[in-house]
Formats: sequence, C-alpha cells, structure tokens
Amino acid sequence: MEIKRRDFVKLIGAASVATALPGCTRQRPRNLIPYVIPHEEIQPGKAVWYASVCRECPAGCGVHVRVREGRAVKVEGNPVHPVSEGKLCSRGHASLQGLYNPDRIQQPRRKREDGRWERIAWDDAQELIADKIKDLIDEGRGDNIAFINSHQTGSLDALINEFLNTVGSARRLNYEPFGYESVKKASDTVFNVEKIPQYKFNEANYIISFGSDFLETWMSPVKHAREFGAARELQNSRMVPFLHVGPRLSMTATNADEFIKVKPGREYALALGMVHVIVHENIARGIPRAQLNHVRAVVEDYFPREVERITGIQFEKVEKLARTFAAANPGLAVAGNPSLDGNNGALTTAAVHLLNYVCGNIGRTVVFEQTDLLENIDSYANMRRFVRSMKQGEVSVLFVYDSNPSFTMPEASGFNAALEKVELKVALSSYLDETSAQADLILPVNSPLESWGDYEPSDGVYGLMQPSMKPVFNTRMAGDILLSLKALLNNDENDASFYDYVRERWREIHQRLAPNTDFEEFWVGSLANGGRFTDAQTMTVQLNDRFAKQTLEELKDREPVEQNGFELMTYPSMNHYDGRGANRPWLQEIPDPMTQMTWENWVEIHPDDANRLGIRNGDKIEVRSSYGVIELPAYVYEGIQPGVVAIPVGQGHSEYGRYAENIGASPILLLSASLADVTGSVKWSGLDVSVVNKQERLRIANVAGSDVQGERPFLQVVTVEELIRNSTREEKEEYPQIYEPHEYPEHRWGMTIDLNKCIGCSACVTACYSENNIPVVGKEDVRRGRELSWIQIQRFFDAREDSDNGRFLPMLCQHCTAAPCEPVCPVFAAYHTNEGLNAQVYNRCIGTRYCSNNCPYKVRRFNWWDYDFPSPLNWQLNPDVTVRTKGVMEKCTFCVQRITDARQEARLEGRDIRDGDVVPACQQTCPTDAIVFGDLKDPDSRVNQLRERNKARGYHVLNELNTQPAVMYLKDVVEETTS
Amino acid sequence: MPSSYNLSYTKTDADLLNTLKSPSKGYWVALAILSIGLLIGAYGWGSQIYYGMGMSGKNNPVGWALYITTFVFWVGIAHSGTLISAILFLFRVRWRAPVYRSAEAVTVFALCVAGLFPLIHLGRPWVFYWMLPIPQMGEMFPNFKSPLVWDLFAVFTYLTVSSTFFVLGMMPDVAILRDKFRGWKKKVYGVLALGWRGTDQQWRHYTAAYLFLAALATPLVISVHSIVSWDFAMSVVPGWHDTIFAPYFVAGAIHSGLAMVIILLVPMRKWFSLKEYITDHHLASLAKLMIFTAFVVGFAYAIEFFMAWYGGDIYKRDVFLFRAFGPYWWSFWGLFFFNFILPMLFWWHKYRTNTVWLIVVSIGVSIGMWLERFVIIVTSLSHEYNPFAWGSHFLTSTEVYIIIGSFSLFFFLFMVFAKILPVVSNWEVKEVIEPPKKK
Repeated sequence: MEIKRRDFVKLIGAASVATALPGCTRQRPRNLIPYVIPHEEIQPGKAVWYASVCRECPAGCGVHVRVREGRAVKVEGNPVHPVSEGKLCSRGHASLQGLYNPDRIQQPRRKREDGRWERIAWDDAQELIADKIKDLIDEGRGDNIAFINSHQTGSLDALINEFLNTVGSARRLNYEPFGYESVKKASDTVFNVEKIPQYKFNEANYIISFGSDFLETWMSPVKHAREFGAARELQNSRMVPFLHVGPRLSMTATNADEFIKVKPGREYALALGMVHVIVHENIARGIPRAQLNHVRAVVEDYFPREVERITGIQFEKVEKLARTFAAANPGLAVAGNPSLDGNNGALTTAAVHLLNYVCGNIGRTVVFEQTDLLENIDSYANMRRFVRSMKQGEVSVLFVYDSNPSFTMPEASGFNAALEKVELKVALSSYLDETSAQADLILPVNSPLESWGDYEPSDGVYGLMQPSMKPVFNTRMAGDILLSLKALLNNDENDASFYDYVRERWREIHQRLAPNTDFEEFWVGSLANGGRFTDAQTMTVQLNDRFAKQTLEELKDREPVEQNGFELMTYPSMNHYDGRGANRPWLQEIPDPMTQMTWENWVEIHPDDANRLGIRNGDKIEVRSSYGVIELPAYVYEGIQPGVVAIPVGQGHSEYGRYAENIGASPILLLSASLADVTGSVKWSGLDVSVVNKQERLRIANVAGSDVQGERPFLQVVTVEELIRNSTREEKEEYPQIYEPHEYPEHRWGMTIDLNKCIGCSACVTACYSENNIPVVGKEDVRRGRELSWIQIQRFFDAREDSDNGRFLPMLCQHCTAAPCEPVCPVFAAYHTNEGLNAQVYNRCIGTRYCSNNCPYKVRRFNWWDYDFPSPLNWQLNPDVTVRTKGVMEKCTFCVQRITDARQEARLEGRDIRDGDVVPACQQTCPTDAIVFGDLKDPDSRVNQLRERNKARGYHVLNELNTQPAVMYLKDVVEETTS
Repeated sequence: MPSSYNLSYTKTDADLLNTLKSPSKGYWVALAILSIGLLIGAYGWGSQIYYGMGMSGKNNPVGWALYITTFVFWVGIAHSGTLISAILFLFRVRWRAPVYRSAEAVTVFALCVAGLFPLIHLGRPWVFYWMLPIPQMGEMFPNFKSPLVWDLFAVFTYLTVSSTFFVLGMMPDVAILRDKFRGWKKKVYGVLALGWRGTDQQWRHYTAAYLFLAALATPLVISVHSIVSWDFAMSVVPGWHDTIFAPYFVAGAIHSGLAMVIILLVPMRKWFSLKEYITDHHLASLAKLMIFTAFVVGFAYAIEFFMAWYGGDIYKRDVFLFRAFGPYWWSFWGLFFFNFILPMLFWWHKYRTNTVWLIVVSIGVSIGMWLERFVIIVTSLSHEYNPFAWGSHFLTSTEVYIIIGSFSLFFFLFMVFAKILPVVSNWEVKEVIEPPKKK
C-alpha cells in the first residue's frame, strides 16, 4: 500500500501520542482546560492526528481525527483503512458535531417522580442500577435484564454479552432500523447461507443496480462510492456502464447512464428475465450444465415478453441487456435497499443473486466472506418478539445504548407503550432522544471520538478506536460503565477499565495475526494504523439444490392493496440516515443532493398526481395510512412513479436537541406494525396511503434557484461516441485583455473537477464547512438564500439530452485570472495573489457586496449576521482559519491555510512544494476523486495531467466572459448501456 | 415675460420676509411627523448596524436592492436643481428666477440624503472612510479601478459644487435678511452673507463668479449620473453591462428631477403665496419638458429591449424576459406606465395647467423612476448567469423604516430651509421686474 509523506507524518503523530494517552483517560477531567503543564507531545499550533473508526453508521470507515491543542477539529478518512481509504462522507464529518453537540447530556440524570430530571452522581447512579440488578438476581429474575444496542462488534460486543452473562440473561438486541433482512433471506434461499455479501464495484465491467442506493446509505456508501469512482475512470474514452432499475430517481440512480423507471417491487422481473435469456442462450459462465437446467426451470416463466408485461421494459431491451451483462465478465448486479423491504425486497435480491450466479460474478464481484458481521443485526421480527416480552412484563431492566428505537420502531409496533412496563430503563446515551427521554436514568456516554473500542466492518478488517481527546463533558465510555457495573455486581473492588479490556482482546488478535512479534509493538502499530487489516477469508457458495420456482414465488410480498390511490415508499435520508444525523446542524443545512431541500423532509410526488390534486412545490399535504397521519411539504418530482409517494426517514424528532426538534415529520409514524411477509423486516414500502392537499403554502428552504439550466452550458455532458469522434479541446482560450496580465513567479494554483466522477454526495461540502469554520445559518436564512456554503453541489435536471437524470456541478470560487470581483472592490479587499488566488481580506472588507454582484458564478458569501457557534460547538473551529464577523464577504480560499502549511513544511525541509503536498479539504474527502488540486505552472502536476489526458472534455464555465478561471471542469460522460 | 410680473422691489422684500415669519400650526405638525419618520429611519439603521446587514432583505444573488435603488433615486432627484439653476441660467431662461432656489435646495438635500445610502448599505459602515484616499502608514489606498470609488468622488464633487452654488447664490438675499433682522439672527445671516454690501464692484465679481459656477455645475449633471450608472455598466451583470447606461441614467435623473421640482413648487407657491412668482405658465413649461424627458427614457427602454434581442446574448435576453414576465413584472410594467404613459397627459393643456394633475403625474413619475432603478438593480441580480443561484429579494421592515427615514430627512431639511432661508431668489426676481422709479 502506498503511503504518502503526509500520511506518514500523521501516523507518526498518532503513534507517539497514542502511547502517552492511556495515562490521561483515566483521570476523567470535567473540563477542557488548556494545559497548565505543557504536554510533551502536543505543541501549540501543531496538529496531531489520531486514527480511529467512524461510528456514525454500520459501515465503519477508518478515520483520522485532527486535534489541535487537545481539541478535535476535523475528521478525515484513514488512508490505510480498507473501507474508507482516506475518504469520508458527510455524516462522518459531522461526527464532530455529535461530539460537540450543545444538546449533549453533560452528566448523569435521574427522572424524578414528577417527571423532571435531576442530577445524580456517577457512583450513585451505578449503585442504583447494581442494587436493582442484585434484587432481580436474588429473585431469580436475572433474565429480565435486557440490552438494546446499535450494531456492535469486537470488544464492546463481547463485553455486553459478558455483562448479560454475569446477570444471567440472554436478552440482547443488536438493533439497526435498516437491518438487511431481505439480503440475508435471499442469500439463504439461493445459496443456503444467511449472509450479506461484499460487492466489488471496481472489479466489475458492468454495473446494474436493482433499486439499490449503494452510493448513499446502503451498507458502505463511502467504499462503494470509492470503488464506483474507480470503475467509472475513462479508459480510451470508454468506461464501465452503469444501469439503474428502480422506482425512484435517487442520487445513485441519477448517476446511471440509463435509469429505467419501474413500479416499486417490479425490479425482480428484469433480473429474472435476464437470467432467462442468459440460460436459454447458453451464455452463462462458470456453472455446470446440470445447474443450468436447474436455473432454466426456476426462471422458465420469465421470458422477456412476460418481463415486458410486468415491468414495461421492452423485451428486446431485456434481451440486449442480458447479453451485454453476460458478456461483461464480470459484471455486477446489486439489489437491496430498505425501501425495497416489504416490496419484494427478498425476491429482488434473490433474483439478482441468481443473475450474478449465472454470469459467474459470485466470488469475483460478489464475495461472501467467512465472518459476515452485519448478519448479527437483529431483524425487526426479533424486535417485535422483544416488544411482546416487554408488554408481558418480562423485562425489568432495559439498557439502551446508542440506539433510538422509540423513534425508529413503527409507532404501531407498540414499543413505546411496552417501554412503560419496564421498571428501570437505563439510557446509555449522549443525547436526550425519544428513547432516553423515556428513561428513568441516563448515563451519558462518550462520543466515539472520545472512546476506546474496536469495530470490524467486514472479515479481516479490525478497526481500532482511540480517544482523540478527553471527554468534553462528565461522560464515560459505555464499556467502562458496564465494567463498573460488573465489578459492583461481583463485589469486585478492582475497577478495570475498558481500555484494558480492549487491549486484552487485541492480545487475541495479536496471537492470530502476528504471534511472533512483540505485543506492545503490535498494539502501538495498530493504534497508529487505525487497526489491522488483513485479507478477507472468502467462501465459495453453490446454488441451493432445493431452490425452485416455488421458493421464488414464496419470496413475493403481498401486492399492496390500492384503496387510497398512493403507494408509500420510505427511504433512509442521505444526511440523517435513520434519524441519528438530525441533530447535526451541518447535516440539516447541507442540501439533499436530489431535492436540494434543507432543514426539512418532504413528500415526493409525481407531477401528474400533483396536477390532479392541485399541489405545487411546498404545499402542505397530508399523508394518511391506516396507522397514522403526517403533514409535510410536497416536492413535485419527475423522478418518481405516478401513484407513488416517497418520504425520507430521519426527520420529525420530538426530542433530540434544538437542531432536530420540530422539523418535518417522520414517515415511520405511517408504517404498519406487521412484518414484511418473508423477511421479517419493517415494511418500509408498499403501504397504501391517501394524499390530501391541505391548501397551505409552507416555508420550505430549497437551495436550488432553478432545477434546469436551459440554454446555459454550465454543466456539459458528452456521450462516449462524441468523445471518440473528437479528442481536441473546443474552447477558445485566448481573449484580449485591457489590464496587464498577472505574473505568477512560483505557483499558479488550480483545480480540475471531473464531472463524470462527481456523484453528488456532498461530502466535500461538509468537509469544507468543517475545515473553514463556515457557520450554519438555519432554515429561515437558507430559505432567503443566505447559506454560506463555499462549495455547492449544483444540480440540473436537463444537462443530458437523452434523459432527465439530474447531474451535479460542484461550484466554488473559480479563482479567475481576470476575476470580475477584484477590480470592483473599492478597498482592495478582493485582490489577486502572486500564486493566482483570489484572496479576500476579511479585515479590509467593508461590505459593499459589489464583488458578489459582479461574480458570474455567484460563489461569494456575505456575513449577514454575526453567526453563533453555541458552546461547545465553537471548539470544533479550525484555529488556522479566521472566524468571520458580520458585514464581510467570504468565499472559497482553495484552503489557503493548507497551502501555507505545505509551504512552511517544504521550507523546513529545504525544498519546493511538491505536487500533492497541498490537498484542499474538498479534494481530500471526495470518495470518487473527482476533485484534483495542484500547481498549473507545473506541467507534470496531476491537475495538468488530467487536463492533458482529457482534452476533449475540459471546459471552463462561462469561458466567453474571459474570466479565465483556475477551475477547469471535465465534461460528464454518458456510456452506452447496451452494445 | 416681465409683463407677467406685477411686482415692486418693496413688495418682493416684504414677501421674502413673510416667508420667514413664525410658522403656522400646520407647519409644526408636519415637522413633528417628519421627525417621527426620521426617528423611525434612525431606529432602522441603528438596528441594522447592531444586528447586521441581514436586517435588510438582501441575499446571495441580490447583493444590492432597495438602498442602492433609493440612492440612485435621490441622486436623480438632485439633478433637477442643477438643471434648473445652472443650465437654465446659462440658457438665460427667464422664468427660472423664482423657482431655482428651491430647486437648488432639492439638489443639496437630495444629495445629502443620497450620500447616506452608500453608508447604509455597507456591511461595516463604521469603516466607510477606508474608501477615502487617506494617506497612512499601512499604505492602504482605495482601488481606483472600482466604479464605487469613482462614484464616491463624483457624488462628493457634486455635493461640494452644488452647495457652493447654493450658498453663494443666496448671498444678496441673505444680506437683505441681515439688514431686516436684529439680534442673533442678524449675526447668523451676517456670517452667511459673507460681507455682502451690494456695491457695483461686488456685483460685478459676483455675477462673474456665478456664471463660472453655473458653467462648472452644468457638466456635473452629466458626469455624476453617468458615473453612478457606471457602478452598473462597468460590471459583467447582464442587464447592467450596457453602453447606453450613462445617457439613459442622465435622462432618467432629469425626468425624476423635474417631477420632484413640481411636487415641491406647487404646495410652496400656495403656502407662501408665491403665485405671482411661480405662475401657471412656469409649471406648464416644466410639464412640457417632462414630456420630452419621458420620450427620452421611453426610447432608452425600447433600445435596451431591442439590444437584448439583437445582441443575441442569452443571459441578457433572459434577464429582459424575466423583467417583463417574471415575478417582478409589476415593477417593470409599473415603471413603463408611470414614466412614459402617464406624462403623456401633459400633451393636453388642461392637465398641465391643473395643479392636481401636475402633482399626480409628478408623484407617478417619482414612483416610476424609483421602480426603474429597482428593476435595473434587483431583477438583473436575481436572474444572473448561474441559474442555480437565482433568487429573489424580499422586503423587510428595516428597509421600509430606512426609506421612510430618508424621505422624512429630505422633507425635514426642506421645511427647515423654507423657514430660515429665502426660498425664492429675490435678487434674480428683481432683475426681471421693473426697477423702482426715482421719486
């Protein structure tokens, strides 16, 4: 693995501090106070990086936490971690706002009789629990103690089990609202293994997604996006085609070369039809003849014309797709998405498994591993059973850790009602969410960035977590709490720490991976590395002998009854996932890539339906099911099927802090309590709902000034055909100039942005907020067009001629050579540096806003107010970047602080800045490497090489204005999906 | 024209003194109302300084809106004064004599009010002086490439010249007041009269200087508003970037200036009983001039649209379509109606001699000219190059307060002026009436 110099420096920093840390963590200080006695390892003004694991979703990306003067200020991907490889998504960046959330619970609390909270000391709280548990054990009711936690692996997983063992209970739920039940069920049916495979997008020559939003929320979005980006690299003007079949134009779908819209739950037919063609035309690969006949029998009903009847896709198209896909060798078909659950999710995934199987993709692009850690997630069926136990009074003490079932369980499931029956509810939670609000006792836990721990996202990937800073508040690690409780129960004076526990467990890993080395070295190395990463042990799977036509039919969910005219589809929100991101202000403010909505959730409705009901964008509409009713603004959206309404999950919190409360409504309130027929998951989709226009305009904060660009060639797209025909640059480059041209003695910084690679995920936007201290302005100001995002992912639906897929244009300051903003500033606050930056001197700016008026790209941002960073969010601020005051203009600086940093480092080492030394925050995090920054004066720099290699695709936005931008865009490319 | 005056030197002197008598109750009520308006404006500006520019209704695409609109509006109003006092003086238009003083006052006060707006619209008004060329250690200096700096210089030059013109033009009249009053008033007027004795030598120098100042002020009418227009024309904003802007703005300024003069003259001649000085004929002449300026601005509108189509630039074309048919259609069609259609009433003698109609049309033109600047500034910015960044201005109470304040300030200054200084130029009226016969 290639390790760059910067990475090496980070590792060294992480390693050296990691050795010194254990001594600090046990003291558990109450405040963050700058050092009275200076720390040897931490120099003021110098950042230290700690390797850890992001725990914002089950993907488990490795991260590096940047710490300045003892405070975590930025999170970046860990370049050596096989999941993230240095990249991170928006939610990962926002983990900092979980750490510094002003609504965090700051010390243990107990609920009084009158329902108000009172403080309680840690020891008292733990004793209270221990006494209760002891009583239960004495009564022989130890099994009445239960534990609900988010998906855990490794030490904490083992410790929870150990703890439950101590009290004699086995009631443990690894609860994730989106639990991949349909994938497990499908694997079980087709291959007789109840596992979730790993997908290798970068090894596929053709990608089809059957309704799977793998770039957004499904399984491991950063990894998928990274590999997807690699797959979409142009080779001789061609690239891996990507086809999406599904009911909704999601962000993943919009990235497809072709998006085939089908009714929800009908995707499976195309997969089976393709299998039908492949096995009948004898173009299957790597399966024995006997199995071929077996498969033929299974799919015999799904001849292409039948597929056309079910899905509306022309049968010739089905045949062509089947042939192209089979020829890809290997291709990759993926299925599975929470929004499919309840709507033939298992059937679709099974059909896709079969498709991959007959094309010989299993083991190549679809890999089953020996240990599949996601399979431990408990299904909704288990949760239902647990609710029943609670209702029957079989649960006396309930621990809930890092999980919010009160919000994510369908209201109709009766979870909240059953919770009242529990005598002692202990929330091990950082936040007062819907679940902890109902607890009797809240023991605030450390944020993952303050904790020891480990996490294995997949086989062979052992991520190691270490605290990047001392806890912000009077909180403890969940592991420490459990160990203390255990000690109390065992009357054990010895208060072991979770740190020791993790270390002990890593002795086992040490024995397994490197038994002949010194453990200390192994441990320190692992800390510096962010874990140990070995190759996964894969397993081969064979077609289940008993798999038959009938089993396939049995996977079908019941057809939704259509009485009220609309079918409900819910999907995890890109920014909030199952709702856990909703209290991070960045995630509220950064727009959803497709709808560009902020601080809101919405109901997507097709224009035909909307016209019929007289609904316009932003009208309040009521969605009613037999289980509940919610009111939300409408988002009239071409990307959805008529007769279907889609609502993202994640908003509508009644608790969970100032940023999450009273925003939108949760579609979970509409869901039925019953399980999806075959998989035992929540029926996230396929529910029958009615839609009523409430005749009221709502104040929505949509960032998009226009959904279309019309004749304005801002976002340019070419087809591969055009690319092959023409390989020269079309743009006129030289224009006359009145002013003296600028001179750049050393560097001229510039950027190349490959639109073909930009998937719209907006991780760059969040990284920029984090790096550059960009304030969050709130809904009202976003609505008024005052958001301060320095980089914006602009989305247009008409960029492509052949389809209405939305495409993305990352728009940031273009750092023009002949910048219109510079000459108009009366006080030289906007000026040109000798390295080509359009600098903005905040101290000099008097706020005429003329520069912003004159910027044709509209990338300058004005400080309309003095913005608030409610404590302790202010501790996240990057000390290298000025916090701007009211009345001044700001904008993208190309991360000038990083340029300065690189220059100083280079000077110390007595050399020039090398290509790759300066990596702005947006480029650093971009999962697909769409953004490349560098010196335009250096002909060998990556930024120039990219331009050189992609001559025909390069263009400047508004080139005709002769602004001579430093940012060059490479046109988006559309590949053919059938050959 | 002298025939239309039936006046004597004694009567003019007496009339002049009459205007300065203790004001009526109505005057005090009006002044009180204007003071409240001023306080409202001060509150608006104060809160905007305290809380930030967010108090106004601007946002990312629309960085300039009502303040700059009102700034240009007042600069435009200012032009009426110079037009009447200097240009008509150079052209020896005789009916100018009784009205030019108030016109000049309009210029000076409108400029004072206008000059506040660039400060009001600053994000950090407390450091406005950074725009001034103040030599200091840090060697920070204004950027002379910026039209805003040109603008600052243009407006300050204009204010200086017109104030000088205003004060010097009053000298002989103030001297009369000095002679008629006693006590502290005599001292104050004495200072303002600058030792005027009315000797032949003084008159000789005075008229020469006056002619010189008139000649100096005349090109300023053209230059100031041209430069104000370059704030827009020098930018790349479609809808601003037009070569026609300088003459277009000058014509518009004169158009609105004429309207403002009528609005002020009609009540003044009633309240101060100046019917004999400002006759119906004078007002009708102003109205005729207004027909001409209406045609000039109407032509400019037509040319702009023609160029938007003929130029073939999609950005510019879209801005003009947006103006006419976008959410701001009312402002566009409003300006067209008020500035061009409405003044056409003055083709009829009936309307241009009826003071009510004169006022109605003039107020209409004032509104129309304000709308014209609003349309130019706000619609162009809301519908610029980048479609994703399109957005609209919204109205806030702070903006309304500040605009109320600005109008209040203007009228407040004018009313105070009317009670302490001669609103009609006595000495120039005397020039056009028969000198008294020796007894």
